[in-house]
Amino acid sequence: MSAADAFVADGLSLSFGGLKAVSGFSLRLGAGELKGLIGPNGAGKTTVFNLITGVYAPDAGTMAIGGDSLLGLVPHDITRRGIARTFQNIRLFRDLTVLENVLISFHMRIGYGYVSALMRLPSFYRVERENRDKAMALLALMGIEDRASTAARNLCYGDQRRLEIVRALATDPKVLLLDEPAAGLNSSEKVQLMKTVAEIRSRFKVAILLIDHDMKLIMGICERITVLDHGEIIAEGAPRQIQEDPKVVEAYLGVS
Amino acid sequence: MRFRQPLVGLLAVGAIWGLGFLLESNLNAYIVRVIVNCGIAFILAMSLNLVNGCAGQFSLGHAGFMAVGAYVSAALTTLVPWAFFQSSVGVGVAVVIGATFAGVAGYLVGLPSLRLKGDYLAIVTLGFGEIIRIVFLNIEAVGGPRGLPGIPSRSDFFWVFIWVFATFLILGRLIRSSYGRVILSIREDEVAAESMGVDVTHYKVVAFAISSFFAGVAGGLFAHYQGFIDPNSFNFNRSVEVVIMVVIGGMGSLTGSILGGLIVTALPELLRVFEKYRMMIFPAILIVMMLVRPRGLLGHFEIWDLLPSFGRLRRRPVSRLKESVTK
Repeated sequence: MSAADAFVADGLSLSFGGLKAVSGFSLRLGAGELKGLIGPNGAGKTTVFNLITGVYAPDAGTMAIGGDSLLGLVPHDITRRGIARTFQNIRLFRDLTVLENVLISFHMRIGYGYVSALMRLPSFYRVERENRDKAMALLALMGIEDRASTAARNLCYGDQRRLEIVRALATDPKVLLLDEPAAGLNSSEKVQLMKTVAEIRSRFKVAILLIDHDMKLIMGICERITVLDHGEIIAEGAPRQIQEDPKVVEAYLGVS
Repeated sequence: MRFRQPLVGLLAVGAIWGLGFLLESNLNAYIVRVIVNCGIAFILAMSLNLVNGCAGQFSLGHAGFMAVGAYVSAALTTLVPWAFFQSSVGVGVAVVIGATFAGVAGYLVGLPSLRLKGDYLAIVTLGFGEIIRIVFLNIEAVGGPRGLPGIPSRSDFFWVFIWVFATFLILGRLIRSSYGRVILSIREDEVAAESMGVDVTHYKVVAFAISSFFAGVAGGLFAHYQGFIDPNSFNFNRSVEVVIMVVIGGMGSLTGSILGGLIVTALPELLRVFEKYRMMIFPAILIVMMLVRPRGLLGHFEIWDLLPSFGRLRRRPVSRLKESVTK
């Protein structure tokens, strides 16, 4: 493993009973790399995300971030080590405000204790103010800062997707996993999303692993793409290579 | 600025003392008793609200933790031959010790049971509540089924409402801090909270322990108001009563819990004019309320969220918002 690798997974496998959901999944993400993960429905893309974030424990294989093993860690510990994610089916804190949704991500590094919170000591106000400013800056990046005091459930669909990304970014990740961030967006929103993802990557120096079905989006912004089918990697390479790979064509279109 | 907090606190204590003095000298003992019982109900409802309303974990064993607070504090003031514990301050100390035991009991019960969800959690907490009651039923030293008489009647309007004020302040500030936001996020979506770095199990147990602590406070105050406790004071019905308060008032709303406590405690008294029919009318009112307002009277909101904004209160660091109120 080279020191430049932000995240390395090697031979991750998971079975549900007799079904091999993922087998022998290996992945290297360089620092600041933007990689696509594609595959037909049911290929195991989201399962890979769930393995990396600790929702499932792999049956075999290893994974590490910056050289530290992530095996056996629970999801919140993995987030603390620097892996953040969004969800395919949006999972916001619906009854909390947009701002509160972002503030929750700061909690794992909160700079005051119970006593300070209950006595309302100066540190409480200082940290709350700092976090609020940080959260507003992140919301502004996505252009939803004017919605800060709205309940998350009242946001329009596109803004909900954006809030999911902001919330994940707020955990200050080294690796960001985006699970179909463009799902349900219209084409102009998708173009904007592509720009935002590129900007996030350059500004936060974060490695991004992106799942999506929109080939134009994936081919447009990812340097390298990994293709999954039936839980196995069938191709890996630059977008052009992937488009021409006979195995990929077969997985998507079937054999003629 | 620096002295504002202690000053406001001192004013509140003075106001409670003055109000207590006025009420106790002008109203008849029955009405004062109802008001004090309301105060104890407020503490119970606000504390359960932290678990059922804020953290979204349905607990049905609140009476058990109230029993721990009541029995431990009453045992100190009746069985320990030390005059200090019969004094007003001594009883206060005993109540805090009893509540601490209740908090620890909550922590120990919460640790295994909060890994369960929904109906299963309700059943397990119900079970633990009953276990605690039956343990006291079988301890001869505290009277077993005959109960524990002769507890010094030291809590009165003043002490009960000092605790109501303290509970309101502590839980209110907790909820409007990062710790409270995290507890709310567990109610909203556990999986997402975990993914944002929140140790969900830890905060569930913390919420449960804090909630049990204040249930213990309510128990201690109750014991030293009644002067007599027996295991039956803390049976399943009591737990259900507190759940009703929280649900009626609005899950997650502190002022809603107070409203719920007021309704559940005072309404049966007001309905005494209907004599034997009152226990039919009371549930009917509850059913109608749930049909008309299924999220409780206040829902997630506090009373001041629903009033036109009045300046200072809205400057809180984490404000709940008007826009969402209209929805």
